[in-house]
Amino acid sequence: MSGTSTADKKFRKELNSGTAALVLLSVLGNATEPMYGYQIAKHIESDRHQVLMMKQGAFYPVLRSMEDSGLLESRVEPSVSGPPRRYYRITYAGHQTLGRWKEIWDQTKGFVDTILQGVSDDQEH
Amino acid sequence: MIKSIDEYLVLLKKELAGSDPAIIQDALSDSEEHLRIALDGAIADNPGTTETDALRSIIEKYGQPAEVAGAFMELEARIPIGLARPAQKHRRSLMSRFFGVIADPRAWGSFLYMLFSLATGIIYFTWAVTGMSLSASLLALIVGLPFVGLFLLSVRGIAFVEGRIVEALLGVRMPRRSLFSGHNPGWWGHFKSLVLEKRTWMALAYMVLQLPIGIIYFTLATFLVTVSLGFMVQPVLQLVFNLPMAHIDGVSYFTPGALMPLVILGGFILFIITMHLAKSVGKMHGALAKTMLVTE
Repeated sequence: MSGTSTADKKFRKELNSGTAALVLLSVLGNATEPMYGYQIAKHIESDRHQVLMMKQGAFYPVLRSMEDSGLLESRVEPSVSGPPRRYYRITYAGHQTLGRWKEIWDQTKGFVDTILQGVSDDQEH
Repeated sequence: MIKSIDEYLVLLKKELAGSDPAIIQDALSDSEEHLRIALDGAIADNPGTTETDALRSIIEKYGQPAEVAGAFMELEARIPIGLARPAQKHRRSLMSRFFGVIADPRAWGSFLYMLFSLATGIIYFTWAVTGMSLSASLLALIVGLPFVGLFLLSVRGIAFVEGRIVEALLGVRMPRRSLFSGHNPGWWGHFKSLVLEKRTWMALAYMVLQLPIGIIYFTLATFLVTVSLGFMVQPVLQLVFNLPMAHIDGVSYFTPGALMPLVILGGFILFIITMHLAKSVGKMHGALAKTMLVTE
């Protein structure tokens, strides 16, 4: 990624700040058990065998803000080794929000794809 | 080149300098949790690797202190705190600001806090004084040290809970994670950090202080509300049940009919003033709690 320019970085950062909440909510929405931050980060990493879109450190404030708005709930559990872990679980409101966010995401994706398609079609002509 | 988790945390704290102390505490404990788990995992997977090498690739994924600090500061600005709503920016008239307090969740939150503070004050004070005297007397025996440790641990737990109450009712940002310090330092390490850290003793002082403060808050709140409610309903009671305004030395004093609306209005205005007072008390107490219970 050494060739990434500042403008690319900025663009990626802006995209991520909008999608991070959707990604995290969806991971927890699919999870059968509560997960802690590192587990979520690992899950996202192993799912996608490509460059991680955003830094894992940026997940935590997003998790916290979703907990504050009632989409997630959490509890701290001591671990055998190392510091206690905070386990997050999606709430009922979180599931409902996730459904709506997925629709919005599909609309946005469809819209952007159509426009991008149009741009490449125009170039071919 | 960051060589240890402690070094990372120091750098992160530096990046967050000037932010809300509670955000700093949250960012530090979230980062410490992640980095320790990741480092333990990396060393277990590759026993040959050094801590520095493992940390390099972990931080590559987790983010440099500046990036993580940026993420925390950016999102924190958007989070609503407890009951509090962002202060309204537009100018309102003097009258609507005076009477508007009746719909202000901060004023009601502070008022509730003033009522609760007597109960929490009694509990904190009793717990602190009992714990301190038992600790002092048991120190002569071998069971003294574990007892002191458990007692100080409970003080930190109570300080955390009090922080949550303060945030919910007074709208002052307090830590949302209890901070653990050091990686598995063992019993003795935990004990030493409990005894040596300033915030343990500040929290203990806060617990003792909460009793006199709670008595003052509770007395003020109940006295003012009783008096204002009394004024508001007195004319009604006088008209319906012929109850006097006051009964002194066998003489009953009644409110003259013409003054009745004024008495009701007076009671109402006193109630509004009480809510304003509660709001200021809440603000002051929030600042006090933040100073005594949150340390970077």
